[in-house]
Amino acid sequence: MPDLRKDPIVNRWVVVNVEEPFLPKDFGVTPFVWKGEKDCAFCNGNEHMTPPEIEAISENWRAPNTPGWKVRVVPNKFPALKIEGDLDKHAIGMYDVSNGIGAHEVIVDSPYHFKGIPELTDLEVEYMLKAYRSRTLDLRKDRRFKYLLIFKNVGADAGASLEHGHSQLIALPMVPKNVLDEVNGAKHFYEYRERCIFCDMIAYEEENGKERIVAENDSFISFCPLSSRFSFEVWVIPKEHSRDFGEIDDSRVKDLAVILKDSLTRLKKVLGEHPYNYIIHTSPVNTDTHASYHWHIEIMPKLSRVAGFEWGSGFYVVATPPELAAKYLREVK
Amino acid sequence: MPQLRKDPILGRWVIISTERAKRPKDFPHVESSPVTEDCPFCRGKESQTPPEIFSIKDNNGNWRVRVIPSQSPFLNLNAELWKKGKGPYDLINAVGSHEVVIETPDHIANLADLGEDQVKDVLQTYCLRFKELSKDNRIKYVLAFKNYGWDAGGGKLQHARSQLIATPVNLKRVKEELEGAKAYYNRHERCIFCDIIRQELNDGSRVVLDEDGFVAIVPFAPRFPFEVWLLPKDHSPDFYTVCDRNVGGLARVFKKVLLKIKVLLNDPPYNYVVHTAPFRRSYPGYWATIEEDYHWHIEITPRLTKVAGFEWGSGFYICPTLPEETAKFLAETKV
Repeated sequence: MPDLRKDPIVNRWVVVNVEEPFLPKDFGVTPFVWKGEKDCAFCNGNEHMTPPEIEAISENWRAPNTPGWKVRVVPNKFPALKIEGDLDKHAIGMYDVSNGIGAHEVIVDSPYHFKGIPELTDLEVEYMLKAYRSRTLDLRKDRRFKYLLIFKNVGADAGASLEHGHSQLIALPMVPKNVLDEVNGAKHFYEYRERCIFCDMIAYEEENGKERIVAENDSFISFCPLSSRFSFEVWVIPKEHSRDFGEIDDSRVKDLAVILKDSLTRLKKVLGEHPYNYIIHTSPVNTDTHASYHWHIEIMPKLSRVAGFEWGSGFYVVATPPELAAKYLREVK
Repeated sequence: MPQLRKDPILGRWVIISTERAKRPKDFPHVESSPVTEDCPFCRGKESQTPPEIFSIKDNNGNWRVRVIPSQSPFLNLNAELWKKGKGPYDLINAVGSHEVVIETPDHIANLADLGEDQVKDVLQTYCLRFKELSKDNRIKYVLAFKNYGWDAGGGKLQHARSQLIATPVNLKRVKEELEGAKAYYNRHERCIFCDIIRQELNDGSRVVLDEDGFVAIVPFAPRFPFEVWLLPKDHSPDFYTVCDRNVGGLARVFKKVLLKIKVLLNDPPYNYVVHTAPFRRSYPGYWATIEEDYHWHIEITPRLTKVAGFEWGSGFYICPTLPEETAKFLAETKV
């Protein structure tokens, strides 16, 4: 009989297939076929093909929009939201509307077309994370923005339209629903017990046989949550309570680069090349935020298709129990 | 300039970004599969499925709609329900049921292509299974839904079928909708869905059709392009009561909407989910206003775009088509 497990933060139930678990080979992930670097706007030397850059990280001095960068941030060519204009919120009958003020930036992870995060050096991943931090610190100065969402889509099935490794940042004029659910869940728990639910989850994993822990270093731990929504879902979370990704210091950025690369490398070795998303979950900005929230990164391999049941119910079926997934990820060389 | 719209029930924002708009010809389509000898859902292959739970038969005793247990069930009814805590987590065992509704004995893929009578039998089957499952006190909710086409999570085998999942817990997405409707009722003493229907019929710009006691609209803040909601105009919380009221009307309108989607978008993959009130169990007083505040409906979502990191992380959706425009396209599509 499978387990039903409840996520203690947002009260979402998941069904975990503990009886006939899917092994990595059972997913039948379609092999990835590279289209190649021809006409890739994100490659070194093609800087003129993107809108002018917002920011870049390089080891040596360079003029903007010229080669020689390590990470490059550009506006999205087809932005979902636009930065110019005043925020205009109004009602149409019973409905609420706002104009689409926001920012939509693309962070080109590295100049290398064919390298994913597992193929980058620790230092290169660190540069990418520093670009994330710098953009989130810059954009929050704009008081119109209430949430800064940093995420990554890899592979067409995870929603990536370009194959050159890149991440995205979307600045939103309101706190999105999923974030509110989590923030409120954490706050509710805190009001009841005066503890952080995420810290409790970490302690629980550390003290109970470590069967869901994948790896850890001085500042971070990566684990497969007991109530994962997806097979081989991995969370990377700071061991010390911290609500805001933007406040991460340099030594922790280094530790984060190592564990993020390590987690993605392990996933790639176990599952082969596969589509995935990761998302940085952090506190809202320019609004009252409760100290109970604990920022983290959720890595979600897209191994099966989400269908009507999941959409209609918010209930997920997990083919590989997180305990087994963590074992695979821990043991892979 | 893109527009942000808020769903009044769930409080979920969507971005209507028509600048990235795609035309119907850019969307994916379902490749039809030929009749095969080994389709276990076809007439004459009954022995290849687990024994049926229920069927509707014609006058000659041949089945028209058949319900079987899922071959890979993740919930089953043969156990005592237990609940326990594990550190900060809650666990219960997966008591419930997972059934497959085979919608026709013929090897036809899309429900839209079945006759009106056949669609009526399918809806009647849902209702009767709901009524039957409601007798089991461990079951709190039954979700009826369909995955049509590979991109919508349907299998490789294309024989029209849908699924019923009975769960021992109320589902998060369902709960949010119930809570949203209840909060609105507490404030206004009116059903939010009835208000939506009234506003949409007055406005008219998002109405796809209004016939036989049902109205089909493109919601004001849809998550997906060409999303359509089908609602009974008369207030009613429980879907399964439609079989005693106007199942013929629902069959006619439902088939029409599915056919419009098929014709306009050239047979796209889609999901639909029946949204209905849960069975009222325990908690005296908890369901005090549900008869007044909740309104069953069917949400049909063509699966035309891929959901990526942004949607997962935020619960925000980017809809690349203008709802008023898609409603007009659908309303004008002749079927």
